[in-house]
Amino acid sequence: MEEPVDTATAILASAAVLLRERTFDDISYRALADEVGISERTIYRQYPTRPHLLAALSNWIEQTCFPLPPFVTVSDFRAAVHERFRAFDASPAYAHVGARASAISPTLDTEPAYITRAIEAMLDVAAPTLNRRDRRRVAASLRYFSSAMFWARLRTGFDLDAAEICDAFDHAVDSVLAKLPSSATWARP
Amino acid sequence: MGAAVTVPELSGTQEAILAAFAELIEEVGSDDVSYRVIARRAGIAERTVFRNYPTRVDLLLATAAWIEATLFAREESHSIFDVPLAIRDAMQRYDARPELAHVVAETAMRGVSGAAPSPSRAQLERLLDAEVPSLDAAQRRAVIAALSHLDSVGTWVTFRREFGMDRRDIADAAAWAAEAVLDSIRDRVAPQRDGLASGNG
Repeated sequence: MEEPVDTATAILASAAVLLRERTFDDISYRALADEVGISERTIYRQYPTRPHLLAALSNWIEQTCFPLPPFVTVSDFRAAVHERFRAFDASPAYAHVGARASAISPTLDTEPAYITRAIEAMLDVAAPTLNRRDRRRVAASLRYFSSAMFWARLRTGFDLDAAEICDAFDHAVDSVLAKLPSSATWARP
Repeated sequence: MGAAVTVPELSGTQEAILAAFAELIEEVGSDDVSYRVIARRAGIAERTVFRNYPTRVDLLLATAAWIEATLFAREESHSIFDVPLAIRDAMQRYDARPELAHVVAETAMRGVSGAAPSPSRAQLERLLDAEVPSLDAAQRRAVIAALSHLDSVGTWVTFRREFGMDRRDIADAAAWAAEAVLDSIRDRVAPQRDGLASGNG
């Protein structure tokens, strides 16, 4: 484990700095190379196309700025997502990079995001007898309503702030969970 | 605001450019297509492409809007309770053109320099207000936001990428989620007064 920052990470850190003053589209490889103090060719070697850079930058931002609080119960899940939406609202430029990266055609063999696995694990505990199809429908719906895309759509398309977005999220979660048999042990808020 | 998605009138040249770009996106991806190649495919001068779409972002936004309005066009829903059907169809259309679906998804997520992320919002509001006018502001907003989120290509992208779902499963899960959202307002429908639904003869 090397503690000193490697080139790939240094590029991402510099891209994040540039994101404070311009959009991702306006960050050229040239400007990025100057910022890091390396050659443009080195950047191309790390990130052969802009979608590669976007995907890596989004991962880095996610880990550095928007760590997901762990959750086990449904109410912890709600709280974790609320916290994220508030963090997105505080750094909209970063959050939009995440929303956009989650929309592009995958460049690498992308693993499902951590939050996807956490939602599935939560369902296993809260509703162990749920049939497979319903489990996937519920997991997919909860995942999609907790995404950066949901935040971005409501902020840009509906002009909502974090509190209103959290409220819309709670409504959506209620609707999805109401579809389930009452035997599921949901931690109601 | 009539149709679900409105696109500005396009000239024949513009339509040729957008169609050529969409074709090339499906062949090689959106990142590698130069204006020169687009011009050649459309059978026009490169200068003409630049005159119509000065930047790549301009071109991308116009292309995404054109794809939404043509290849991914929805049948208009006449009731808010028909929306799950429209969503099911839309998911199948996205699945048939994956590269184009990703391009449309990404342009809607560009923030200020992007496409409107909720093109179906106005139509959903009209349907909901006609059929379920008694919702309070927060409820109304929550229902519209959830349906508009589900009625978008982001659903297809997320379900496929995060859960490895195929076409059938995506269409099913998206429509199911929309039904779940509608369940919360099913018992709030106002009686029809326009005589369309009531057979009074």
